[in-house]
Amino acid sequence: MSGQGKSIWDTLENIPREVLYGILLVVFVVPMIFPLGLPVPVSANVRKWYNTIDALPTGSVVLIDFGYSGGGEPELGPMAVAVYNHLFKKGGIKVIAMSTSIEGPQLWDKAMAEIRPERYGAQYGVDYINIGYITGGETAMAAIGKDLRATTSTDYKGASLDQYSIMDGIVDAHSFDLLICYTTGGDQSEGWVRQWYTVYGTRYLCSVLAMMVPTMLPYQNAGQIISVTSGAQAGEMETLVKVPARGIKSADVITLTHILCLAYVAIGNIAYLSKRFSGGGK
Amino acid sequence: MEMSIVIQTWMAAIFTILIYSIAFRDNNLFKFAEYTFVGAAAGHSLVYGVDNIRKVGWNNIVIGKYFYVLAFLLGVMLYTRYHPQYFWVSRYPLSIMVGLGIGLSMRAVVTAEFITQIKSTAAIQLIGVGDPFKLVSNLIFIILVITTVYFFLFTFPKAHSGGLGVIPKIARYGMMAAFSYSFANTVLSRYNMIFGRLDFLYSNWLPLPGAIIALPIVLILLIYAMLPPEKRPWPKKE
Repeated sequence: MSGQGKSIWDTLENIPREVLYGILLVVFVVPMIFPLGLPVPVSANVRKWYNTIDALPTGSVVLIDFGYSGGGEPELGPMAVAVYNHLFKKGGIKVIAMSTSIEGPQLWDKAMAEIRPERYGAQYGVDYINIGYITGGETAMAAIGKDLRATTSTDYKGASLDQYSIMDGIVDAHSFDLLICYTTGGDQSEGWVRQWYTVYGTRYLCSVLAMMVPTMLPYQNAGQIISVTSGAQAGEMETLVKVPARGIKSADVITLTHILCLAYVAIGNIAYLSKRFSGGGK
Repeated sequence: MEMSIVIQTWMAAIFTILIYSIAFRDNNLFKFAEYTFVGAAAGHSLVYGVDNIRKVGWNNIVIGKYFYVLAFLLGVMLYTRYHPQYFWVSRYPLSIMVGLGIGLSMRAVVTAEFITQIKSTAAIQLIGVGDPFKLVSNLIFIILVITTVYFFLFTFPKAHSGGLGVIPKIARYGMMAAFSYSFANTVLSRYNMIFGRLDFLYSNWLPLPGAIIALPIVLILLIYAMLPPEKRPWPKKE
């Protein structure tokens, strides 16, 4: 371009990232302050997930793996909260949480602060419990399936499991009617298929980061997972559970920012093609 | 609100702003936040590591399960990798770990990731499908499975040229579409994460007393940190 002025297409192709991120920030913030209230349509997978929990008979035992890290909390946290709300609202279900992620116990605490189980009359140690982080990844999943007490004898705060009535009769994978996993790692989401569904046939629901959904869908298509959802669909779950929270709040923002993203792609392509057709491109 | 929660919220908010400042320009405040995060994460892992040794190993030895001494020995042997002469000793516990991992995976991987997946793919139907959308979808699926398998199995040049060249070409388009789907989902994930943090700032931090005053101060400090040293009005270089 030496010796020539920059054309409009050059400028559009090389918008500084500060400008692009600045506009993105505005599009994030404005609908947060002034919500548009866009509708949240419920997809088939979220409905299937909801129906699976809804169909659980009273007295069922559910194992939940809080396998996500702090980085994934903004996406998976709202989904975990919505599903817990559903379980507590339904009542009569024993919910045992554990974690294959080292940050899981803290994130579980955060989720509980949002859920406030006491408003459903749920009691720690009777209706729900957290047995903490269990090290070993896939080895841990296999070990829990074989003998849960061999992997931990205490809850996440170090109190003996024997003192909690919820743990009566909980021995191995056969003690659970449903497995739920929230995770930011493929090792966990696929590991449960290998170590629990394949070996024990445990029914399995899985919620992952949106970017992991394409990898996990073949397992759902093959019937190994009942339903795969992304944490980004938390708004849909909140709609079904009728407990609006962070998921629904994100709907406006996510829609508008994606429209902006499409606009960026369109501008880049228009600039590229215009340069090419005007003979400026290579 | 408890004082500990207030302190946590303030720290989380300020570190969130510092971390996201990298989107605009690299600066020392971002580096400070980055190193603090790495240090805190390492410390957190260390605490859990020690707790695991106590919970899984030591507590079992104390109640008479002496077999766990072997696990301790193997663990100590791993550290010989830092010794220039005896680093080979670490290969033994490592080989046990690798062997154990492969053994555990292998018992289910053939069923979970080969047989079931192949059965599921083979069960895709074209005849007797009432829904036209599903029919087209199944047809595309079958074509892409066959062409993609062809693309990776038949790699000799003749299989990718001439009339046969159309098969890997279809596979490439199919794979590009799959990658695009993955990439679009990645954007969705990232935007969700940004929203989560901005929502935290807006809903949890800004309502706290003093936060509305602190926000512009933090932003001004950040802009200052982003300026090259020679352009900073203060301190002047001698």
